[in-house]
Amino acid sequence: MAAALLELGHLFVVLAVAGAIALRLGLSVIPLYVVGGVLAGPFVAGRFGLPYVPNGEIVTLLAEVGIVLLLFFLGLEFSLDRLLESRTQITRAGVVDLVVNLPIGVAIGLVLGWSLVESLLLGGIVYISSSAIITKSLIDLGWIANPEAEPLLGTLVFEDLFIAVYLAVVTSLVLGGADAGTGSIVQSLAVAFGFLGVLLLAVQYGTSLFARLLGGAGQEAFVLRTLAVVVPISGVALALGVSEAVAAFFVGMGFATSGHREKIERRLSPIRDVFGAVFFFWIGVGTDPTLLAAAAVPLVLAVALTTPAKLLSGYLGGRAYDLSKRRSLRAGLGMVPRGEFSLVIAALAAGGSTPVMREIIPAFAVGYVLLMSMLGTVLMGQSSVIERRVFRDPEEGTEPTG
Amino acid sequence: MTVYESDLPGVGKKHEVELGDGARLVIVTHNSGKREVFRRADADSDSEKLFELSDQLARQVGTLLEGAYFQPVQTDEIETLLGGDTLLEWVEVGEDSPVVGRTLADSDLRQATGASVIAIERGERVIVSPGGEATIEAGDTLIVIGPSEACRDVASMVRGD
Repeated sequence: MAAALLELGHLFVVLAVAGAIALRLGLSVIPLYVVGGVLAGPFVAGRFGLPYVPNGEIVTLLAEVGIVLLLFFLGLEFSLDRLLESRTQITRAGVVDLVVNLPIGVAIGLVLGWSLVESLLLGGIVYISSSAIITKSLIDLGWIANPEAEPLLGTLVFEDLFIAVYLAVVTSLVLGGADAGTGSIVQSLAVAFGFLGVLLLAVQYGTSLFARLLGGAGQEAFVLRTLAVVVPISGVALALGVSEAVAAFFVGMGFATSGHREKIERRLSPIRDVFGAVFFFWIGVGTDPTLLAAAAVPLVLAVALTTPAKLLSGYLGGRAYDLSKRRSLRAGLGMVPRGEFSLVIAALAAGGSTPVMREIIPAFAVGYVLLMSMLGTVLMGQSSVIERRVFRDPEEGTEPTG
Repeated sequence: MTVYESDLPGVGKKHEVELGDGARLVIVTHNSGKREVFRRADADSDSEKLFELSDQLARQVGTLLEGAYFQPVQTDEIETLLGGDTLLEWVEVGEDSPVVGRTLADSDLRQATGASVIAIERGERVIVSPGGEATIEAGDTLIVIGPSEACRDVASMVRGD
């Protein structure tokens, strides 16, 4: 017991230090939590004979709660009404984002001789931008009050919805169909969509139940009751071979309309932050940096190809919102950071059966998220310099908004 | 005035208010309750952050801007509120006030407004329960009691507007 508590203490010290460094350097905390995990884990600290945090059951369980809460919050923020309200613009920007970026990742995997499922995982990792990093940067840079915030946030909403479907499918492919034929893949997909369908109905018709459940509860009871719904449902999902993350996303959607959304966000976000940090740390702990060498080729290809691809799709997304060229370029720069959801996909891949899924993809994802989160934040911070470079002609730069 | 409202998924809501000169005031209300206020000079320029307020402070400043808090200075103090709608109010008599030189009886304050003058502060001295024959002088402070509406009327009669 003492050993386990010490391990956990070690973990939180590393996270606190990583967070302090991030604050000092003005970087996002996510990549630094991951780096902290790599350094404090068995593959670095352990190799040098230092005390290290093993990739054990406790950290894994807490990280799992982290995934569940990250996706639960995503669901909370996600409103179908909102999507329907500006559906033409969101759909146009979102579809461009999807058809430009996902196939590039899949193509890189196929060119490297990976299987279709492995390539699909790579596609997802390079496709999904980081809601956490982008939203934070928008607020920090003051862009939140500018017109470019709308295509950026709108595209993120589309990505979030897509990723829920994507995770549901890919989880079935990775966990259910790895060593079996097509029949078993179909079966596990059927189970997944059956369960999610039931959950969706429960969410759709259970709003008043959720509202009653939380109504009048004191602070402590409120937090506990929310967790008592989200965590068991996610557990059932995982036991059935369905993505626990998607289940949590749906439960979040159910709570979103219960009238308690803001209260949940206020009261549970500290809990999400704690478990989310453990999740990023856990990703780091499981990463052997020497495998980064093996992932170097896909990493170089992905950074070189997906940075301009996101710039292009973000630019077109901005144009779909009738923004000027300058602002659309900015929307492109803003979509570059990748983060938490790329790591969620990597965590899913790590549960697969092939060496590529177990080792290369997680190492790739860590390297990729580190590079893209930093590159993306730098690009956003330096946007005025880039805008001046691109639009030397001032006439074009100051073209009025449409 | 046109107000544009839009959702900021994951952040909160944004309202843009046209200021008339092509500029817009942009108010971002975060889900946490924090308000950030920006000004955008024109459609092309970037929003410039003016200030941010916590939820509670934003509401207080909001009521101030709305004018709901306006009262002559002295009634800011809660002691002057006697319960119900009754106020105790201090009204200063300026040099050019129309009531200067008149007695309380011919100033007609009570009949016109329904509020009574219960004391007159004159320098160091206080005339308590002045009768109808008491003369109002420039520089006096009238202590008035009555419904808040009536007190406001007394203040405006004394100011002469």
